[in-house]
Amino acid sequence: MEQKNKSFKTFFIQNIYILSAVLVIVVFFLINNSFLSLYSIQNMTTELAPLLPMACGIAFVLYAGSIDLSIGAVASAVCVITGLNVGEKGNIMILYMLLFGVMIGLINGLLVSKGKLPSFIVTLCAQSIYRAIAIILSNPHGGGSKNIPLKQRVVVNWATNKVLGLPILFWIAVLILIICIVIERKTAIGKSIFAIGANEKAARMAGVNVTLTKLCAFILCSVGAAIGGIMYTYKLKSSVPTIGDNLYMMAISSVALGGTLFSGGKGSALRTLVGVLTVTAISSGMNMAGVNPLWKNVVYGIVLIAAVAINSEKGGRDLIIK
Amino acid sequence: MNLLSKKDVKSMTIAEQFVSKVEQEALSNKIRVYAPMILLVIMTIVFSIYDSHFFSLKNLVNVLGQMAVPLILATGLTFVLLLGRIDLSVEGVMGLVGSAISLLLLNSRNSNDWGVWGVILPLVLGTLCGFITGFLHVKLKIASFIITYAISTIVSGVAVLLYNSQPATVKAQWVIDASQTYFLKIPLITWIAIIFYIICAIILNYTAFGRAVYAIGDNEAAAVASGINVQKVVIEVFVLSGFAASLAGLVALIRLKLGQVSLGENQMFPCITALVVGGTSLSGGKGGMLQTMVGILIYMELLNFLTIIGVSADYKNAIQGVIIIIAVALTITRGRKVIAK
Amino acid sequence: MEKELLFKTNNIGKIYGSNTVLQGINVEFHRGEIVGLIGENGAGKSTLMKIIAGVTDASMGTMEMNGKPFKASSMMDANKYGIGMVFQEQSLISNLSAAQNIYLGREKDFSTFGLVNWAKMNAAARAALDKLGLSNISPAQKISDMPFAMRQMVEITKVLDIVSETANDRALILLDEPTTVLTDDEMKILFEQVRLMKEKGNCIIFISHRLQEVLDLTDRIYVFKDGHLTGEVETKDADEYKLYEMMVGRETNGEYYVSQRQTVPTDDVVLEVENLAMFGSFKDVSFKLHKGEVLGLYGVEGSGKEDVCAVISGDEGKTAGTIRINGKEVSFGSPSDARKHGILSVPRDRRDEGIIGILPISENISVSNYGKNATAGLISNKKQTENANGWIKELGIKCEGPMQRINALSGGNAQKVIFARVLDSECPILILDHPTRGVDIGAKGDIYSLIRDITEKGFSVLLMGDTLDECLGLASRIIVMKDGLVTAEFDCPADNKPDQVEVVQKML
Repeated sequence: MEQKNKSFKTFFIQNIYILSAVLVIVVFFLINNSFLSLYSIQNMTTELAPLLPMACGIAFVLYAGSIDLSIGAVASAVCVITGLNVGEKGNIMILYMLLFGVMIGLINGLLVSKGKLPSFIVTLCAQSIYRAIAIILSNPHGGGSKNIPLKQRVVVNWATNKVLGLPILFWIAVLILIICIVIERKTAIGKSIFAIGANEKAARMAGVNVTLTKLCAFILCSVGAAIGGIMYTYKLKSSVPTIGDNLYMMAISSVALGGTLFSGGKGSALRTLVGVLTVTAISSGMNMAGVNPLWKNVVYGIVLIAAVAINSEKGGRDLIIK
Repeated sequence: MNLLSKKDVKSMTIAEQFVSKVEQEALSNKIRVYAPMILLVIMTIVFSIYDSHFFSLKNLVNVLGQMAVPLILATGLTFVLLLGRIDLSVEGVMGLVGSAISLLLLNSRNSNDWGVWGVILPLVLGTLCGFITGFLHVKLKIASFIITYAISTIVSGVAVLLYNSQPATVKAQWVIDASQTYFLKIPLITWIAIIFYIICAIILNYTAFGRAVYAIGDNEAAAVASGINVQKVVIEVFVLSGFAASLAGLVALIRLKLGQVSLGENQMFPCITALVVGGTSLSGGKGGMLQTMVGILIYMELLNFLTIIGVSADYKNAIQGVIIIIAVALTITRGRKVIAK
Repeated sequence: MEKELLFKTNNIGKIYGSNTVLQGINVEFHRGEIVGLIGENGAGKSTLMKIIAGVTDASMGTMEMNGKPFKASSMMDANKYGIGMVFQEQSLISNLSAAQNIYLGREKDFSTFGLVNWAKMNAAARAALDKLGLSNISPAQKISDMPFAMRQMVEITKVLDIVSETANDRALILLDEPTTVLTDDEMKILFEQVRLMKEKGNCIIFISHRLQEVLDLTDRIYVFKDGHLTGEVETKDADEYKLYEMMVGRETNGEYYVSQRQTVPTDDVVLEVENLAMFGSFKDVSFKLHKGEVLGLYGVEGSGKEDVCAVISGDEGKTAGTIRINGKEVSFGSPSDARKHGILSVPRDRRDEGIIGILPISENISVSNYGKNATAGLISNKKQTENANGWIKELGIKCEGPMQRINALSGGNAQKVIFARVLDSECPILILDHPTRGVDIGAKGDIYSLIRDITEKGFSVLLMGDTLDECLGLASRIIVMKDGLVTAEFDCPADNKPDQVEVVQKML
């Protein structure tokens, strides 16, 4: 009997993420019936599109038991650089920016894996660097950040066109989600990421290349952030150097809500998708319910703490408590 | 010298090799302790040669005038870093306390005039934030950087909500007076910072609590075996850090007289830079108040120098990021095989 | 002369899971006595010490101190009774001074209004150090500035001071291998202090692998083997050879280790090590590992064998020497490099370095060779599960299925999963680092026959046995190490195993 109770409890905790998503959607639907209207859903999918790649990206770093605090700043920098150049250079900028993301991940990853530095401090520094880059590029004359609208919108308009009633950006995000699922379930590198997150020493002794694996996790993460940044440029049709400031909190709350273990080794992209849906629903729902948008950060902060606390493996090898 | 030691290696017994290994470690530890002080002296000399105004009384007073906020924050963070933890919430707490004080004193937004309570209550509130952070960190076993990041987001959100995007200007006469009070040409707020620093130095060096902080940061298991209540000490340290952030919020408000979240913006990062450059290890147990002061002075000199040669604020942040990575790389104690998280 | 009884145990025992590590121990310690405890690694002496010092609970039995029942729930609790333990791994805070370490957690005695009077504390520490004749240690000196031996003395002073607070010269001090890192001169000082403490009426328990030291220092010696107390002898009646004999005890028959299936090594050298060295740990280590052989590596803990193993598995870097695989010189920077060259290990510390706890059995098996179940870089999870099922059947792993988390398994079954992993990797050279540690008796037998199976298939094994008996029983050749050097090499054919006493002599 007791065992049955216990297994029910585990089952409950393991699936609480779905419950929370449903709960959020039902509550906002009751508050405002147009929450689930076609228009509102279209809106939400546009909101969700840039967040999903970022959340899926940082999830890889979390699976590996590390953290990346820089993704918001990376998205900002990418958003500004894309916005400033896409008019002239065209859509090839996307490729350049993906390479930029690879480079950022490579630097972070090398400092963490080869330099053996704590990931939070490396990425905290990276955050300040890329934030500075975003602000300086947007306003080279000094005096703080400045939003710059795109000059040639024609180049980017395709991204917000609709296919099957939903914007292309959303379909791209779905494609990225599928790629992430394949990486984590079907490739050696994906499985190695989970192994080093679950027990780095054991994975190392089993012959997993820890350095390379960590490097890949950080690269996937930064590329995810870069895609997020590009999507914001295409969505907002302007360069916004502060776009990433709140994104970090949204992305990491999404991953936490999906039940990814912050000590590493457990999680999945599909669960992250549910987390992203929940966060987007909270965001849109609060807008529609007329709540002061300033409440959002307070809510995300509380959600993050609650989600991390519920999902942590109390009995298991939950080592980082420092 | 090198040749000689190479020959020695061959003929040494394993026990002798082991002893020499331990001695080498002790030596490199010593170097690590003194390097920042030497760096400070060299920087002072080089900067003075580059610009003769650098080593003037006027510039010194200028530097001291700006160091109030970083010194207070760094003093509180010293305890946290000595434990091997980190507190990313100080910026948020600063913003919250500053905003709250501005709204409770005579101000441009509302008709409040709570007098001394308008200062004390927000300070208590900020300290309470520290307690909540410490409590959640210890009881829920959530890594300190994630819990403090979340708390930071929450409290700065609350702060913005308090003044609802329209910050209040403080009109209370004593605040205006305080911002213009100088003693020996040094502003009052710097004196507040120095007094706070001295009190904390006494706490760290002359109380059982201070010893316990070192013990936990260096060897938590040994601390437990010596009968130290680790959870209690950790919470107390976060309370202290919360109070330091609150005090920094008050001081920043006195300087700017405008109660907004940006009081705290870009304040924590320089402090961590200063602490790490001064020789406080992020892995805990190493460092102290002297190192903190050396680190702050190095940081203030560098900042001052960058201003003199005309580097803009945006670039300064990026430069700090690079400095901190280098400093951490030089000072951190690495696990033998495992990569730090 | 009959001495006053200070401490005794009645039928003390300890069981971890299904493993009995200590059984029916009755020992007595008297005032003014130095007692030696000897035995192989894992014989149970350290476990007994930990029980007495309050670090772990006894599973059965009772203890008495000063004629009254004694039960300690923590080390501090034991301290109150007058029992203190000095650990092998030092537990000092390196950034604090000697005095601050000695009185860590007890600062109240020196405080007024919460502020500690360092001068007063230093004076007390001075007195405590002087009591042991340690006038060369300054109380204000930082631990990190002290040589290793001095740190050890501070640690002893700390323990003695805590204990003597309550038990004036009726203390029981446990020293767990305090001499491993000391030089000869430092050791002499330590011994003098220990004798001084004894003169005053305290009892000191001394654990060491160096028998000569035990003979020099102690009055009486207890001998442990396989969790049992196998002998007691007055030091004046003992010599090294007698102690060897007592430690080794009866030999297990060859059947237990499936000796009839022991392979005869071929001339085919797969791994050759020449003058291998690691600064501060071992040097001049050379040996050859042949195809299909079990080569045993044996020595006490700290003899350097652990690090030899770590270097060959890529876990640590060498500082000199060469490693050749199939005649070709190689060098590894990590275990992953070693794996690519065909070397993989079953690590000693299963919980920490073996199992990947929160992952399922199937992932734990495949982690060393993902490629096996992949086509064009994409892994088939179905194949991976089938593969795991195959191993579960072949090795007889008791579990709910391949998707069960490995940390739900018993020690023996988890170890079999690790074996499945190394076999699945298809690496021809396997390093088995204490493969039967913490494994119940049934699984031990399975692992022994498994080792025979794989050598028959042509795998080569470098074995670090959990006990000498096991190492000799399984290996076809063993190498003995002592203080970082190879001291002997013995052939161990199935029908003519070398005499254990002879081997032990080379290693102590």
